[in-house]
Amino acid sequence: MIETELIELLKQKDRAAFKNIVDTWQDMVYNTAISILQNAEDAEDVTQETFIQVFESVSAFKGESKFSTWVYRITVSKAMDHIRKKKRKKRFAFIQSLYGKNDKPLIDPPDFFHPGVRMENKENAAVLFKAMEQLPPNQKTAFVLNKVEGLSYIEIAEVMEISDSAVDALLHRAKANLKKILKEYYAALNKN
Amino acid sequence: MKDEFINKKVEDAMKSLDGVQGANPLPFLFTRLEARMQNDRNVWSKLSSFVARPIMVFACVCFVLIINVMVIFLSNNSDRITAQQGSELATADEYSQVSQVSYNLYDLENNKP
Repeated sequence: MIETELIELLKQKDRAAFKNIVDTWQDMVYNTAISILQNAEDAEDVTQETFIQVFESVSAFKGESKFSTWVYRITVSKAMDHIRKKKRKKRFAFIQSLYGKNDKPLIDPPDFFHPGVRMENKENAAVLFKAMEQLPPNQKTAFVLNKVEGLSYIEIAEVMEISDSAVDALLHRAKANLKKILKEYYAALNKN
Repeated sequence: MKDEFINKKVEDAMKSLDGVQGANPLPFLFTRLEARMQNDRNVWSKLSSFVARPIMVFACVCFVLIINVMVIFLSNNSDRITAQQGSELATADEYSQVSQVSYNLYDLENNKP
């Protein structure tokens, strides 16, 4: 079925069309979400939230951009919301722990291993993902879309609603920051 | 030598995502998605039916009426207080004028040769 027909059917809340859309774009949404969130459960949660949003606000999709771009935009926005919520919860848990109301220890999640990374690169990729955690959100998003999703600068610009040159600058800064973080990490590791 | 090693490690890490494959969600995502949407809908329908109960509507109307009565009562009270304060101020003003006049008269009398 053609994409435009699917979208029209989805606007009429057609279940089969929705299933078709989920089946088509679930890998793309999940892969983006897991790369940004670095947690399988959170990625599943965000994937579901993304498709619920797609179902509920498809009438707002005017076809000015590609459908995949629109879905990417929702995914990134949901993933960022999720990170913000998690940070808020962490802060709240920390405050509660100060007052002795929360005995759960605040432990950082273990190293994240992306399921799509080659076996020989697993260790290095885990270090890189850990370093990505320290990037500002927009640099992280641009880097994930480029490196993991393989989007071009123009596509990233459409998803993030910024200019091509801004994407170029973001990726340049992201790479420079990552190199700096990794250098410090390996230098510290070498000292010990 | 040490720097070279570190630079090599950094480059290796930066290249580690080259040729990365996509991660796939667990099977039956659509089934879980449908269940969640159904659940969300249930939550909203439960909430709306709770709000629409006659007792809730009656309680809301009573609450609004009480707020209205309180606002009217408080505004009337504050009007009365300002009127009273106004008359008190006027009396004080008049009194000071009178005292000023009498003081002037006293001065005039004292200044007489």
